[in-house]
Amino acid sequence: MEILAKIAFALHALIILGGALVAVSSKSLVRALVGLVVTFFGVAGMYLLLATPFLAFMQILIYVGAVCVLVFFSVMLTRADGEGEEARPVTIRHRFNALLAGLVPAVGLALVLIRHPGAARDLPVEVGLPALGTGLLEQYSLSFELISLILLVAMSGAVVLTWERKEKQ
Amino acid sequence: MSALTLYQLVALLLLVIGLYGIVVRRTLVGMLISVELMLNGAGLSIVAAAQLTEANAVLGQLGTLLVMGLAAAEATLVLAIIIVVSRRFGTVETDAISTLKE
Repeated sequence: MEILAKIAFALHALIILGGALVAVSSKSLVRALVGLVVTFFGVAGMYLLLATPFLAFMQILIYVGAVCVLVFFSVMLTRADGEGEEARPVTIRHRFNALLAGLVPAVGLALVLIRHPGAARDLPVEVGLPALGTGLLEQYSLSFELISLILLVAMSGAVVLTWERKEKQ
Repeated sequence: MSALTLYQLVALLLLVIGLYGIVVRRTLVGMLISVELMLNGAGLSIVAAAQLTEANAVLGQLGTLLVMGLAAAEATLVLAIIIVVSRRFGTVETDAISTLKE
């Protein structure tokens, strides 16, 4: 059974890696968006492997369902085709700087992770949906209300930002 | 290598690719995609830490739910900003919109 778990983990890690690489390196932004969706599904699979099916479904619902549609609307407003702004070749120097920006914090964090693994259990704990609902409505109800407030403010802020005032005749 | 370390390394991979993308991309939309990658890595890291250690698992899962809500709010606002910028400048290229005042 353990070998099966390792194979499933490696498969999802490969899906995440491939999707993320397409998302950052594709010349067409629509293809980058498809890569992003693949990554979202890979992370949802990882949530399933971690015994959190609720989060996996929320990941698909919120990220694939809502965030991706929003990003797609942004893509529609720009020239996303093969001759778009992202299609011009990137200089080696620029690429090197970007790689440096990613690798410098990552190497430090990876060293800490590998040298000080910390006490971990082998199998994830299973938390039922009732426990999550109780936590959401009792212990962490304030953050639950706050996130709805943030969503409301963000939505009305977006409407105000894009409001086009009618020209006075 | 424990399972926790492996999950954290995958989350770290998402962070690295997101950081690379946010520097190498030229348009605001490409940068938004990279930010979403990094937020996904953060969520995965929180859930792995909550599920595979003695920490409070309910807190970890609800915290990731909060991250997802924040990502949705952030995507909404960035969409509005992209619309405003493309209306005013005619492009969403970061080099073209880097001047504060003309």
